[in-house]
Amino acid sequence: MNVDTLVMMANQIARNLAARGEEVAVAAVAEHIRDFWDPRMIKALHEAARDSLEPIARAALTRLGDSG
Amino acid sequence: MGYEPQADFGTPEVLSEITVTLTIDGRPISVPAGTSVMRAAAESGGSIPKLCASDNLAAFGSCRLCLVEVDGMRGTPASCTTPVAEGMVVHTQTPRLQRLRKGVMELYISDHPLDCLTCSANNDCELQDTAAQVGLRDVRYGYEGASHLGLGVDSSNPYFDFDPSKCIACSRCVRACDEVQGTLALTMDGRGFASTISAGQSADNFLSSECVSCGACVQACPTATLQEKAVKEIGKPERAVITTCAYCGVGCTFRAEMRGEQLVRMVPWKDGKANRGHSCVKGRFAWGYAHHKDRITSPMIRESIDQPWREVSWDEALSHTATRLNAIKAQHGARALGGITSSRCTNEETFLVQKLVRAGFGSNNVDTCARVCHSPTGYGLKQTFGTSAGTQDFDSVMDADVILLIGANPTDAHPVFASRMKRRLRQGAKLIVIDPRRIDLVRSPHVEAAHHLPLQPGTNVAVLTAMAHVIVTEKLADEAFIRERCDWDEYQDWAAFVADERHSPEALEAVTRVPAADLRAAARLYATGGNGAIYYGLGVTEHSQGSSTVMAIANLAMATGNIGRRGVGVNPLRGQNNVQGACDMGSFPHELSGYRHISDGATRALFEADWGVALDPDPGLRIPNMLDAAVDGSFRALYVQGEDILQSDPNTHHVAAGLKAMDLVIVHDLFLNETANYAHVFLPGSTFLEKDGTFTNAERRIQLVRKVMEPANGMSDWQVTQALANAMGLGWSYSHPREIMDEVARLTPSFAGVSFARLEEAGSLQWPVNAAHPDGSPIMHEDGFVRGKGHFVVTDYIPTDERTGPRYPLLLTTGRILSQYNVGAQTRRTENSIWHDEDVLEIHPTDAENRGLNTGDWVRLASRTGETTLRALVTDRVAPGVVYTTFHHPSTQANVVTTDYSDWATNCPEYKVTAVQVAPSNGPSDWQRDYDAQARQSRRIAGHAEAAE
Amino acid sequence: MKRVARISDDALSIACGAEAVAQAFEAAGCTVERVSSWGMHWLEPLVEIDGIGYGPAMPADVPAMLDGTSAKCIGKISDHPFIAGQQRLTFARAGKTRPLSLEDYATTGGWAGLNRARSLEPAQVVAEVLQSGLRGRGGAGFPAGVKWKTVAKAAGARKYIVCNADEGDSGTFADRMLMEGDPFQLIEGMAIAAYAVGAQRGYIYVRSEYPHAIAKLNAAIELAAGIIAPLRLEVRMGAGAYVCGEETSLLNSIEGKRGEVRAKPPLPALQGLFGCPTVVNNVLTLAAVPHILTEGGASLYDSLGVDRSKGTMPIQLAGNIKHGGLYEIAFGITLNELIYEIGGGTASGRPVKAVQVGGPLGAYIPPDQFDLRFAYEDYAQADALIGHAGIVVFDESADMGHMARFAMEFCAAESCGKCTPCRIGSTRGVELIDRIRAGGRGVDAVEVLPQMHNARKTRRSTEDDIALLEDLCETMKFGSLCALGGFTPYPVLSALKHWPEDFRP
Repeated sequence: MNVDTLVMMANQIARNLAARGEEVAVAAVAEHIRDFWDPRMIKALHEAARDSLEPIARAALTRLGDSG
Repeated sequence: MGYEPQADFGTPEVLSEITVTLTIDGRPISVPAGTSVMRAAAESGGSIPKLCASDNLAAFGSCRLCLVEVDGMRGTPASCTTPVAEGMVVHTQTPRLQRLRKGVMELYISDHPLDCLTCSANNDCELQDTAAQVGLRDVRYGYEGASHLGLGVDSSNPYFDFDPSKCIACSRCVRACDEVQGTLALTMDGRGFASTISAGQSADNFLSSECVSCGACVQACPTATLQEKAVKEIGKPERAVITTCAYCGVGCTFRAEMRGEQLVRMVPWKDGKANRGHSCVKGRFAWGYAHHKDRITSPMIRESIDQPWREVSWDEALSHTATRLNAIKAQHGARALGGITSSRCTNEETFLVQKLVRAGFGSNNVDTCARVCHSPTGYGLKQTFGTSAGTQDFDSVMDADVILLIGANPTDAHPVFASRMKRRLRQGAKLIVIDPRRIDLVRSPHVEAAHHLPLQPGTNVAVLTAMAHVIVTEKLADEAFIRERCDWDEYQDWAAFVADERHSPEALEAVTRVPAADLRAAARLYATGGNGAIYYGLGVTEHSQGSSTVMAIANLAMATGNIGRRGVGVNPLRGQNNVQGACDMGSFPHELSGYRHISDGATRALFEADWGVALDPDPGLRIPNMLDAAVDGSFRALYVQGEDILQSDPNTHHVAAGLKAMDLVIVHDLFLNETANYAHVFLPGSTFLEKDGTFTNAERRIQLVRKVMEPANGMSDWQVTQALANAMGLGWSYSHPREIMDEVARLTPSFAGVSFARLEEAGSLQWPVNAAHPDGSPIMHEDGFVRGKGHFVVTDYIPTDERTGPRYPLLLTTGRILSQYNVGAQTRRTENSIWHDEDVLEIHPTDAENRGLNTGDWVRLASRTGETTLRALVTDRVAPGVVYTTFHHPSTQANVVTTDYSDWATNCPEYKVTAVQVAPSNGPSDWQRDYDAQARQSRRIAGHAEAAE
Repeated sequence: MKRVARISDDALSIACGAEAVAQAFEAAGCTVERVSSWGMHWLEPLVEIDGIGYGPAMPADVPAMLDGTSAKCIGKISDHPFIAGQQRLTFARAGKTRPLSLEDYATTGGWAGLNRARSLEPAQVVAEVLQSGLRGRGGAGFPAGVKWKTVAKAAGARKYIVCNADEGDSGTFADRMLMEGDPFQLIEGMAIAAYAVGAQRGYIYVRSEYPHAIAKLNAAIELAAGIIAPLRLEVRMGAGAYVCGEETSLLNSIEGKRGEVRAKPPLPALQGLFGCPTVVNNVLTLAAVPHILTEGGASLYDSLGVDRSKGTMPIQLAGNIKHGGLYEIAFGITLNELIYEIGGGTASGRPVKAVQVGGPLGAYIPPDQFDLRFAYEDYAQADALIGHAGIVVFDESADMGHMARFAMEFCAAESCGKCTPCRIGSTRGVELIDRIRAGGRGVDAVEVLPQMHNARKTRRSTEDDIALLEDLCETMKFGSLCALGGFTPYPVLSALKHWPEDFRP
């Protein structure tokens, strides 16, 4: 998968949910990705360089990893 | 069914709680107060002669054939303009009336051609019928008096002729143009005996006038004065089949009028609840593509895309395709396969394609063209209200007091609904338009928007949040409604968020470019002007914040209590005929029919039990992800039904790269479309005239599509999908689409009460149709939101990453034009191209002057993604800094310049905002020339002359 | 002290040379007062010096008029039999006041009706108009009070008063004289109507052929704006269509639409201008109102006239008549009195052949019916109409077959084209009368074709064509949408009935 695209997507979701407050946002981003992304996309995002992810997206990915 | 003209009661139906009883020719009859004597007579089975009256037009009283005698009333009043009264005694057939009617008819015929037998309206002419009815036998005036018999025919319109020598000056066409269509293009010119119908100014003909060719005048004409060219060529139809239009999301019902197997004309059906007897130039006239020479009717295959196509039998095509699919699945796994359903196909066909992907391919890699149009609507309304659909029926607009129109251009894209809306606006409803472009509704005859907020493209959320700021800070919110119907705590969080000073119209003016005072006035009007109804289109959804905008709209409606009754609501205007249905049928990779998530075990179990297979519990790939995954090598085979992703999806280069990377691309379509240039299998499709099934329109209305003629390729699309499934070994045995709908109903709670039999009986049904709503649901959320409490969602304005800069200083936005539809695959293959034969770039005079451009000049339109050339149209319809074009023509390929940016929640592409530069050009770009050559190469069919596009 | 010469500035007086006469008086050192016309048209320009009248005056007559030796002296004007015999209520100020003088208007009882009306409840105002028996003076004779009551009771935030001043009938000029000579009285009548029904705006629809009236009205509206407030009035100019004198066409025309008749119902009283409840009244109807609203005015009005034709009617004598002009008198007078005693017979001196009452659509009345009482019901009984009370006199040289043709021709020229009987029927009527007067017709070029198998193949006689003309008239009379097509048969059939010889070849 095109990792740049996936990072961009994750960051965009995070930015749009950020106004709900960090804690809610992290959970919401994780839920959104779980609900709408094909597993191979999540897998590729896990393998991506985490520093290109914004904090909320990064935290959400961590949470996805924890639960998945 | 046979050919019966549609019943006409003469004057419109009147709704009244008071019933009046009168006697007509000795028969007592009770009708609602306000009904005309003419209509009362018609309803009681009588028939009063008439020529100027029609029940979709206000009574006019000009022909003077419908005169009656009423006990106690002087003279002979016209029954069309005389309302019934309690105890009235009416006589419709007296010697005096018969004499008067014959006298009027004698006058008509003294100025009318006499060669009825060779007239195109012979035996379908109200003048002829009425002459027979009154028993005219002699025209004592003779035939040498003054007449209009020498007037010439205006055949400028490609679909109908205007022959003024046959005109009886009843004004039905003028009134239809005024009252039904609302364009006011026709007028009665001159006066007295010299009165003649004129389109536009006297120097105009129908084509050069403002006529939009909706056909209402042709429909209204009682003679052959306005007559379809097809009727003149083919003859009077001999049977009619009721079916549903396959163009936009309005879902007009038509009578397909046939002569043998030949379609003569499509006539809007008066009982159609979406269109109420009206039509537009596309549905009414643009069906010629069904017989166009470009249509492919034989299956074709090839090993690679640089080879010519090879025509093969259905058996060979299907077994070849199944073998390839099974091989790829065996080698790369189920998730390497996927399919795309079409919003132009029926619910049943769409359901089968997603079933094929989920149950046959074994993946959830199914997506639909709604991805690129209304996916944010599904997401946003599901989040806030609990249902991925609009809340109203179209009739509801007639109770709206304030119409808020956002990012939609109904007069071009949803013309029949636009006519309803204009009718309501003429009655006095107020209009607010939020659109970067000065669309026609901002100011057109007898319609003027109270406010036009010409926002900077990409700032929808900022504008709507600012409106919410005004409503909350000026205490205009409907707190009683919110407390009762919504989550009050969430509302307070939301209210605190929008009330922040940074969301004030003044603070956001620099971003939105909407004058704060205008925005405040618009917000106050929406909140306080009575029933507020929001209508929106792709100008809302096709943005990086499309889903946020939908939710911001829902927030506004909830905050002002404008939801859950007639006249209000949130109404997405759907682009294609069956976008709603395709979404309902489980076309998205993450959900099954009825919007139930694939991860939900109980739902999955229901399907698994019915289909006898295990389903993948994880969401599949969306279209753009499929293309990415194809380049990556993890996605290898795609079945595309009735969609042309190469032309319609953004960043054409990227789409092409994805398609090229796949092992197997199966295109199932009417024509060798642009996507087919990259395909290995071509399965010929069938038109909506060649199949049974259902479409679901923008108001959730499920309507029957009926087979009018046999499929040119031998199979309806659902049969092709079934044959492919069976070639793969799935063993399906549907004998009719009704069985597919039965399966949908069985598996989908909101469709539980739907069946073809119920649809036949009711005409149409609006889902949900179930035990709680056995007759369907015209208005949603009447007693509470589907999700329980209405959910306010904080929508923060996040600017798109697509920014203007020194190299790309202008913003490109895109849209549609009346005469063309979507990628133009159908409309370009009709005479509609006479109105729009190329895409042009609208540019503001200031921007044009800075670049030395004039209307008609070739310009190069370049973005960070790509470039194309087209001609310029200099107009102040667009604001400085904004340019606009349509995407109907493949030669322009506007999507070469659009970007990969998309909605954060649904990946709906950001078609509406692209930073571009515009410069003078000498003609088509190298890319366009190369593409043209490649397309010609790819369309070769072995044994055929080179295919033309 | 300077001598004062009073000369009318009415358009008719001006057309007869009043300007030159006025200049001559000024040159002779007199003060000239421009007043309204007395309505004795054969005497215009009529000059009044110290109550004594001279006319028709020429500039050369000035010295003799000033020294009292002029042969054109008619004595004291108010004692002139043409004036003395009248009962002037609506035209009480005619000849006496300066049209745009608020002072003259007020000192002659102006605004008394409005002031009194405002002291009453609106419903009482309507009741007094009902009590007066005033009927619409435009032609239809519909009780004004009933119309007002309908508008007053109609629901609606916006209501309108529309004055129909599209005076287009042949031989009529009373509206023009009133608007030019006493515009405040019309304005006062509209203000009373507006108060009675709750209207905020009024329009006066004046035909474009009346530039003097339009100028006077505009000036008067400006002067009276403060007095009639909150009512706002506006003059709208017609564009030359006779049919726009029909009230629904008139409303369409004000709205900027094609001047086309609307079907009734809905009545304009309920859905009139811009769809709102609207009083549409003629100039003379509205101008009669201020008098009716003065103390005792309604009873006085009701006491005049006969049967259901109450009050006075400003009758207009025109055409071939010796003493033409405006004659306001209570209903009930006969044509004999009007034509011979008051009008002095024909101007040509030849015997009277016919008169046409009520405009181009009125019946032609032969002298043997001149004992007909001037009253709505009496005329209707005789298949004639009062209309706007214009009387046009014809002497024996008139060709009544030609006049019948003219009626059809007029209808064809003025038809709005909406309804079939009028649109096609009037044109066929002209052709038919021509054919009758030419002696009937043979089989025409189309009928003769063998393909026209059903067409009659024998000659049609004059009797056949006259029968057809009568059928056409029935179709138009009962089939037409408005009075234009509906009344055209009256002059045609009356001419055919009384002067059949004029239809022979």
